[in-house]
Amino acid sequence: MTDTASPTVLRSDPTRLRDLGENEFRRRYDCDRFTASVITNRLRYAVEHMSTGFLREAFSPIIRDWYDFACTISGPPEAGYPMAVVSNSLVVFLGTMADAVRNSVEEYRPENLAPGDILICNDPYRAGTHVNDVCFIQPVFVDERLVSFVNLRAHQLDMGGTVPGGFSGTKTNVYENGLVIPPMLLYRKGEPVRSTFSLIFDNSRFGGMLLPDFKSIHQQLQLGDRLVRQNIERYGLPAYLGSLRYACDTSAECMRDAIALIPDGDYVGTGLIDADGLDDSVDYSVKVTLRKRGHDIEADLSGTSEQARTCINAGTLDSKTALGVALTMLLDPDAPFTSGTWRNIDLVTPPGSLLSSLPPEGGIFLFWESTGALVSAIFAALNPVLGANAIAGDYGSTNTHNAHGVAADGTPWANIAQCGGEHGPWGATKEGDGDSYTVLFTLNNLDPATEAIEHDCPVVILRKEHAIDTGGPGTHRGGAANLKDTLWLTDAQHYSSPFRTKAPSGVGANGGAPGPCGGVWVFPPGEADRAGLIGTNDDVYAAAEPVAGVLDPDSHVLDPEHGKYHYFARRPVWPTAAGAVFRYITNGGGGWGPPSERDPERVLRDVRDEYISIEAAARDYGVVVNGDAHFDPEGLFIDEAATRALRAARSGDARVMAPRSASGAGR
Amino acid sequence: MIAVDVGGTFTDVVALRDGVIRTAKVSTDATEVYQPVLDGAEELGVAESSVFNHASTHGLNAVITRKLPKIGFLATEGHRDILDMGRVWRPAHAILDPHWRRSFGDAASPLVPRYLRRGIRERVMADGNVLIELDETQAREELEVLRRCGVTGLAICLINAYVNRTHEERLRGLVRELLGDVPCSISSEVSPLAKEYARASTTVIDTFMKLIYSDYTQKLEKGLADLGFTGQLNFADCAATLVPSNRAMEQPFRIVFSGPAAGTVACAHFGGMIGEQDLLCADIGGTSCDISVVTGGAPFVETTFELEHDLVVNALANDISSIGAGGGSLVAVGTTGEIQVGPGSAGADPGPACYGRGGTQPTTTDTCLLTGIIDADSFAGGKLTLDPVLSREAFESLDTEFSLAQRVRYAYEMAVNNIAEGVFNVAIKNGVDPRDYSLIAYGAAGPMLLPAVLDVVGVKQVIVPPYPGLFSALGLLSTDQVFTANRSAYTILMPEAAPRIDALFTEMEDQLRELVPTGTEVSFERTFDAHILGQSWETPFVPVPGGSIDAEAISTMIATFHDTYENRSGNRFDAAPVEGVTFRTRAVLTTEKVRYAEVPRRDGAPLRPARWATLRYLGDISDGGDGEQRAAVYDRGDLHAGDTFFGPAIVNESLSTTHVGTGQHVTVGRFGELIIRKKGGRP
Repeated sequence: MTDTASPTVLRSDPTRLRDLGENEFRRRYDCDRFTASVITNRLRYAVEHMSTGFLREAFSPIIRDWYDFACTISGPPEAGYPMAVVSNSLVVFLGTMADAVRNSVEEYRPENLAPGDILICNDPYRAGTHVNDVCFIQPVFVDERLVSFVNLRAHQLDMGGTVPGGFSGTKTNVYENGLVIPPMLLYRKGEPVRSTFSLIFDNSRFGGMLLPDFKSIHQQLQLGDRLVRQNIERYGLPAYLGSLRYACDTSAECMRDAIALIPDGDYVGTGLIDADGLDDSVDYSVKVTLRKRGHDIEADLSGTSEQARTCINAGTLDSKTALGVALTMLLDPDAPFTSGTWRNIDLVTPPGSLLSSLPPEGGIFLFWESTGALVSAIFAALNPVLGANAIAGDYGSTNTHNAHGVAADGTPWANIAQCGGEHGPWGATKEGDGDSYTVLFTLNNLDPATEAIEHDCPVVILRKEHAIDTGGPGTHRGGAANLKDTLWLTDAQHYSSPFRTKAPSGVGANGGAPGPCGGVWVFPPGEADRAGLIGTNDDVYAAAEPVAGVLDPDSHVLDPEHGKYHYFARRPVWPTAAGAVFRYITNGGGGWGPPSERDPERVLRDVRDEYISIEAAARDYGVVVNGDAHFDPEGLFIDEAATRALRAARSGDARVMAPRSASGAGR
Repeated sequence: MIAVDVGGTFTDVVALRDGVIRTAKVSTDATEVYQPVLDGAEELGVAESSVFNHASTHGLNAVITRKLPKIGFLATEGHRDILDMGRVWRPAHAILDPHWRRSFGDAASPLVPRYLRRGIRERVMADGNVLIELDETQAREELEVLRRCGVTGLAICLINAYVNRTHEERLRGLVRELLGDVPCSISSEVSPLAKEYARASTTVIDTFMKLIYSDYTQKLEKGLADLGFTGQLNFADCAATLVPSNRAMEQPFRIVFSGPAAGTVACAHFGGMIGEQDLLCADIGGTSCDISVVTGGAPFVETTFELEHDLVVNALANDISSIGAGGGSLVAVGTTGEIQVGPGSAGADPGPACYGRGGTQPTTTDTCLLTGIIDADSFAGGKLTLDPVLSREAFESLDTEFSLAQRVRYAYEMAVNNIAEGVFNVAIKNGVDPRDYSLIAYGAAGPMLLPAVLDVVGVKQVIVPPYPGLFSALGLLSTDQVFTANRSAYTILMPEAAPRIDALFTEMEDQLRELVPTGTEVSFERTFDAHILGQSWETPFVPVPGGSIDAEAISTMIATFHDTYENRSGNRFDAAPVEGVTFRTRAVLTTEKVRYAEVPRRDGAPLRPARWATLRYLGDISDGGDGEQRAAVYDRGDLHAGDTFFGPAIVNESLSTTHVGTGQHVTVGRFGELIIRKKGGRP
């Protein structure tokens, strides 16, 4: 994929950055090596300062409690808008920001910009992600010359459209999706453009919350502008621009080296989305063919399903981001993420697919669900050749839950992306077990406190805990799924969007097993037992109405082999009476390495900590543990003879003898 | 007055008697931490002293190294994993790293393993009403499990206990009944603030600190008594305010991280004496550079801080940013060929290559030795002899095309630059223009590296105070005794809220009055943390008027909030309602503080260098040159107030070395402080 960050450096240029002599370095980057590192670091801090300021002042819950925004700095048009630094926040934003700035400014025309302007755009096809994510782009001028851009993209709580807040997989085209803002000015020479503000507030809900956030964003962009100009004042414009090129070249070289380590070949992976928001007659598959030759890699998405009938699609820019994220994570997690990341990576995508949808029908909203499946597919494709470096998959879907209703005093309330399965586990790697309860690989954000949620909405989060036997077995175990029970205190309307319950998203790595799929249920009022909580044993589910998941038709228990898929949007909206309880169980993280090689002592510790049951210890790990995990955790012990026998019988069954574990299976 | 600052490597002791400061530096003993403290105290004559002030990092070290006692954690059933989850997000460097794990999580090194975290059947709602009554039978069963496991302490944090503490108090009663008199902390008492994770982690830290410090305090008190000390023992908290030891042991989470905070207070106090109210404070030791800000004579205080990424403690703390840049920072070659310095450190063992203890990678200390800034024979008061040959070998072993002169020069510049970036970022983060601020350089390695920052950051001046190597410990003799209380209560500010807020302040102030010894001069300071309705991050420490809170006081609070908010954020939202979240009271007891002795002015012979030294690699190194410079060397004890001299120069004193660069100018101040400015700047 082309980035024009470094016009003076040819793609095939073999000279490595570290081998550049001082003079050659200066010729390329208009400064010495030291200055280039210094300026890049200063710009990284600049985007962090902008982010921290905005987080602390924000009004939208999704900004202040979720960190749903990001900041970047890009270079000028004639350099190809190189994106040299990104903030620590939503990864899905970062990749698309480079293109968002380029496309918006090219359309508006750079010569029409003036100091103090803020250009905005939220169109997914021009800028990536979804309409609620508005890009705010401030040009930086030095001596009347346009030299850079400081940018902030932030999720707005509402952008109009048919569903309050927007989070729903049921909308069928761009018109239902929400207001599309083409590149236009929000501020002109430091002054607000009234017509733009009015356009947004006349077409969206919660304007009272958006206005102060816009003002805060304006302040953060001024800060970014000031910091960039200070750097230029101090080091000179050529050194500043050279440093932007250097930052992108560094990423490109890291990725080029990392790609070279994969054996040449074609690798295919797939990922599955359960259904769209219309009906469950179609499931959607993501297919990726990775063709690796030398230092280059091409990702071909041919064979991916056609674009969905509702807004679970992703745009090409989102797919490009997911590709960069997945390859960075798998190949070189230390490589800085810039527009140089893709220099040796090509993306081939048929038009109008789930991962490259087109307007007006191919609506884009829950794009991270589809690009998450692409990340899983890339992991599945490359894990087999990565050996110990393979990475097991995560929980796959944010299982977004939105609810609204009216409180006893007549005030309307809304709860957005807080009470479903938004957080869950990661897969294991060679470094160790996966964390339970974290956030998708493609995101990075804060988890709202239970007490903050309950203060804001009439809901009680009864359970938010790790579910037993849900981490994918392995030498290193996947993180455990999250089990969340929410008791709704008023009548309420719910949208539930779990997308990955049919096939495991927590793919195994290096001989590890995948994490199991989860599900969603709703318990009618009165089901919470006398003590006020619903149990976690299998016998409780019969009384619940299944919302999503592959479940036994009678007992409603998760049953991946014989169960029937339950479609989450068979009711687009789930109405409940006061006292109803929703339960989410996310997918589990994948395991790494053969489970038979997990040290029995670590299996014992997992039983003691109730990450796995005594039954699963024997079934999945061949370790026989005796005792009572709950009431006598320190009295648990391994039956060593039985364990030896069980593990020996298993390895005898296997066609290939697994290497013995270093621990000698507890001898 | 005696003050002790227990660090990871050294324990610093300072004493002030009859206006004279005396100092001692002894090695820290990791297992019997109190012993060197007593040794130092004896050396400086503790029996004569009426006050003994104490700061320590050993609580922090116990947490970081996980050398922790076995405790249990009780949570609302369904919520025992809050300690594993934290607030979820990963740090910037790990944004695309699938191997990253939260350091305190079950997959890494939990503070309390999952089986010792027990769910208790009960539930309080956000409004304080009880949804599920406390199930005492079930609670007893769970406590019985913990008793059999032999836990030595309990931390209890129930959901919404910050609005209704009855279940936590009853549970503590059951702990007493079933486990006896083990340390037991409840969140509604330790830190009655909203948001369960931070409250839970604070409560757990509190329980650990009770276990770690109670035995230590007993040994310390007994030892001090044996030495004839009859005065008051105080602990410094994370904001470096002093708390009597018995009160500190009631809420020991407040003292988990007290050493660096004392340095900021030392700066503020010294700044006041020399008429400098706006300071950037930088403390450079072996492994890190701790940077903080003093504005208008007051340290910048945060309402929480993190012991590790996302391991939060709800304690008022001087806002200190730590970067991995110290004397032991490792020099390496990066993937694209640049010389890198830090954040890794050679630590005390093996230490820099020149220590001759087996270190083979060069460090900043090796850099300074090769440049000649450090004298091989007089390092650390001559206690340690350094070997420049080992430093040179370490630099030569780096895999790079650079010449030796370039390697050393770039390592020096990168070390200085990292520190400069840290200082600059702390300034930006706090909305401070460095040109208006003086940089105070202290810590053993501070005076050696920080004057060079003058040229990069553009601060007003760099000041090396007296006793820079022990300056943090002097902070413990520069601060007030303070009692604090705070309460969280989400309250929209309007006239009707006045009685509720008034009752909160009355209750807190009555509580604090009981703690203050009768007849002591005391002043109360009230503040509140608030946000505009709809925000969830608070603007902290908005001033509150004294006296009873009535409708007029409320309107003052609202106006003050809007002014404070505009001042900090640049925006103003007068029409939006203001919601108070946390109300705070401090009782400040005026306390005697250190005075620095004035240094006499010179009369007679003019200042002359003690000798001349040759510095290398700091001058022109183009065309293969060695960059030699001739530098004047002064002994600090020979300097008089009003003396002036130019760089390049070196100033030696027993525990540190000041390096004045080319183009810099030094004036010796009234108390012997070195005021370093750019040549041509104001003299």
